[in-house]
Amino acid sequence: MLLYILRRLILLLPVLFGLTLLLFIVARILPGDPVGLAAGPNATPELIAQMRSELGMDLPLPVQYWNYLTGLVSGDWGMSVFTRRPVVADIMEYLPATIELVFASLLIAVVIGIPLGLLTAVHKNGALDYITRTVALGGIAMPRFFLGLLLQMAFAAWLDILPLSGRYPLIESPPDHVTGLYTLDALIAGDWYAFQVALSHLALPAIAMALSPLATIMRMMRASTIEVLQQDYVMTERALGLSNHLILFKYVLKNAMTSTLTVIGLYVSWLLGGTVLVETVFDWPGLGLYATQAILTQDFMPVIGVTLVIAIIYLITMLIVDLLYGVFNPKVRYA
Amino acid sequence: MTQTEQTMSVAIPNRNQSARLENWSRAFYRFRQSWLSIIGLTIVIALIVIAVIAPWIVPYPEHVVGGTNTGAQFQPPSANAWFGTNALGQDMFSLVLVGSQVSLFSGMAVVFIAIVFGTIVGAIAGYFGGWIDEVLMRLTDLLLTIPSLILAMAVAAALGTGVWNMIIAISITWWPAYARLVRGEVIVKKEEQFVVAAHALGANWVRILGKHILPNIVSPIVIKASLDMGFAILTVASLGFVGIGVKPPTPEWGTLLSGARSYMPDYWWTAVAPGTAIFLAVLAFNLLGDGLRDVLDPKARR
Repeated sequence: MLLYILRRLILLLPVLFGLTLLLFIVARILPGDPVGLAAGPNATPELIAQMRSELGMDLPLPVQYWNYLTGLVSGDWGMSVFTRRPVVADIMEYLPATIELVFASLLIAVVIGIPLGLLTAVHKNGALDYITRTVALGGIAMPRFFLGLLLQMAFAAWLDILPLSGRYPLIESPPDHVTGLYTLDALIAGDWYAFQVALSHLALPAIAMALSPLATIMRMMRASTIEVLQQDYVMTERALGLSNHLILFKYVLKNAMTSTLTVIGLYVSWLLGGTVLVETVFDWPGLGLYATQAILTQDFMPVIGVTLVIAIIYLITMLIVDLLYGVFNPKVRYA
Repeated sequence: MTQTEQTMSVAIPNRNQSARLENWSRAFYRFRQSWLSIIGLTIVIALIVIAVIAPWIVPYPEHVVGGTNTGAQFQPPSANAWFGTNALGQDMFSLVLVGSQVSLFSGMAVVFIAIVFGTIVGAIAGYFGGWIDEVLMRLTDLLLTIPSLILAMAVAAALGTGVWNMIIAISITWWPAYARLVRGEVIVKKEEQFVVAAHALGANWVRILGKHILPNIVSPIVIKASLDMGFAILTVASLGFVGIGVKPPTPEWGTLLSGARSYMPDYWWTAVAPGTAIFLAVLAFNLLGDGLRDVLDPKARR
C-alpha cells in the first residue's frame, strides 16, 4: 500500500514536468503584451525594455523555461507583473479561501446527495423520487453564476439574513491564522461569534457551487444503487432474512459508492476551476478571483501558478479516490 | 448496425422503406416514449428558429446593434418591454432574443471543432498504437488535468475579443475528451473481422479508418456531442460573464448577465432574463442529449 502510494507519487513527476512545459509553451506562443499592459499607456520603450529584462523575459525561450523550472523546484514561482509580488506569496494568501469554499460545497453535495440518492433508489418512482429528479435536471443546467446572483437577491437583498459578498466583514479582523480557513480557525480559537460570521459569508457561495455536483452525485448514487439492488447477492441476503436496513447500509452502499466516488473526484477539479465564476459573483478573495484578474491583465506567471496548483490538487485527489476504492471494494488490490 | 440491417432486410422482404429508414423510425419511436426528450427537442428547435429569425422579429432592432434610449432606463417588465429595459434603456427582450445567436452558434462550433480535431487525433492514436499513441495520449491527459475553464479564459484573453477567438479557446480545452473516446472505440473496432478483411484486400489506413471504422463509431460520438452541447453553451456564457469573449454591443447572454450584476437587486429583470435564457438552453440540450443517448445506446437506459 505504502509502496503503491510512493510509486504513484513518483509517477506524478513526469506529469508535472509535462504540465509546466505545456503551460509555458502555451503562455509564450499566445499573443499579448503583459509588460506593456502593466507599464501603462504612457510607458517609454526604454522602460518596457527595462521591465522585460528585470523579469527575465528578454532571454531565449529555452533559458527562460530552464530558469522557470529551477525556480519552481526551489519555491520561486515567478513574479506577478500586476501585483508585483511573488506568485507563491499571492497563491498562499488566496488558496485557503478557495479550499474552504470548495470543501464546503463538496461537503454539502456529498452529505445531501448520497443519502438522497440512496433514498430515491429504494423508493423508486415515489413522489420524492420525481421531485428530486426534476430538481436535479434543473440543478445540472443551472449556471453557477446565475444561481449565485439569484441567491444574493433572495437571501441578501430581500430577506436580508445573509451577507451579500465577501469572506469576512472588512471592519472586523478574522480569527487568528492557523489553517487560513476562517470557519476552522474560529473553531480552533473557540470563537463562536467568528464562526457564525464566517459561516454566514460562506453559505451562499458554497450553495451556488454545490447544486450541480449535488445533482450529479445524487443521480449517480441513485443509478448505481438501483443496479446493485438487482444483484443476486442482494436477493440471497433478502432470502436469508436480513433486514432491509442491514442490506442497504452494510452491503449495497459500499458497492454503489465506487462509481459515485469517481464522480466526486472529477468534481474537485470542476469546482476548483469553477471558483473563477462564483468567486467573481461573491467577491470571494480566492484563487479564482486572483486568476481572473491575472487573465484579464495577461499576467502569465500567476495563471501558470494557479493552473499548476489546481492540477496538483486534482492529481492528488484522483490518487485519494483510487485509494478509497480499496476501502469500499476489498477486491481492489494495490500492487 | 450493419448486422441488424442485414437480418432485417431478410425478415421484412419487399418493403419500400429502406432498412436504414426503418431503423430511424424505430429510434424516433423510442425517443417519443420519453416526454422529457420531446420537451428538450421542442425547446431546442424553438431556440434555433429564434436565433435564425431574431433580427427580424425583435421589437427594437436598433437596440441590438448598439442603439440606446436613455429616456427609458430601467423600465420594469411591461407590455411595452416584456423583459424590461437595462441601464442604457435597451429592450432586454430584443437583446436576449438576438443573444441566442452567439450562444447557440458558438456552442455548436465548439462541439463541431472538438469532434473533428478529437476524432482525427483519437483515430490516429488508436489505429497506429505504439509511440504515436503514447505521445498523443499523454498530451490529451495533460490537457485533461488542466482546469478547462481557466485555460479557455487565458487563451481567449490572450487572443483578444471576438466570437471566433472565444470558440477557438474553448475548443482547445474540449477536443481531448473526444480524442479519448474515439481512441477507445477505434482500438476495439480495429480488431474486428471486417477491418481485418479490408486490410487483407489492401485498403490503406485512411480508407480503413474513414470508410470502415469511423462510420461504426458514430453513435457514441453523437451521444457525447448532444450531451456536451449544453455545457458548451454554458462555457460560452461563463466566459462572457467574467468579461472575456464577445464585447458589446453584440448581445451575448453571459455578457448581458455580467452587465446586470451591478444593478442587482433593484433592477433584477436585467439579470433574470439572460440568466433564464442560459438555463433554458442548457436544460433543453441536456434533455435532448439524455433522450438521444437512450435511443442510440439502449444499454445505458435509465
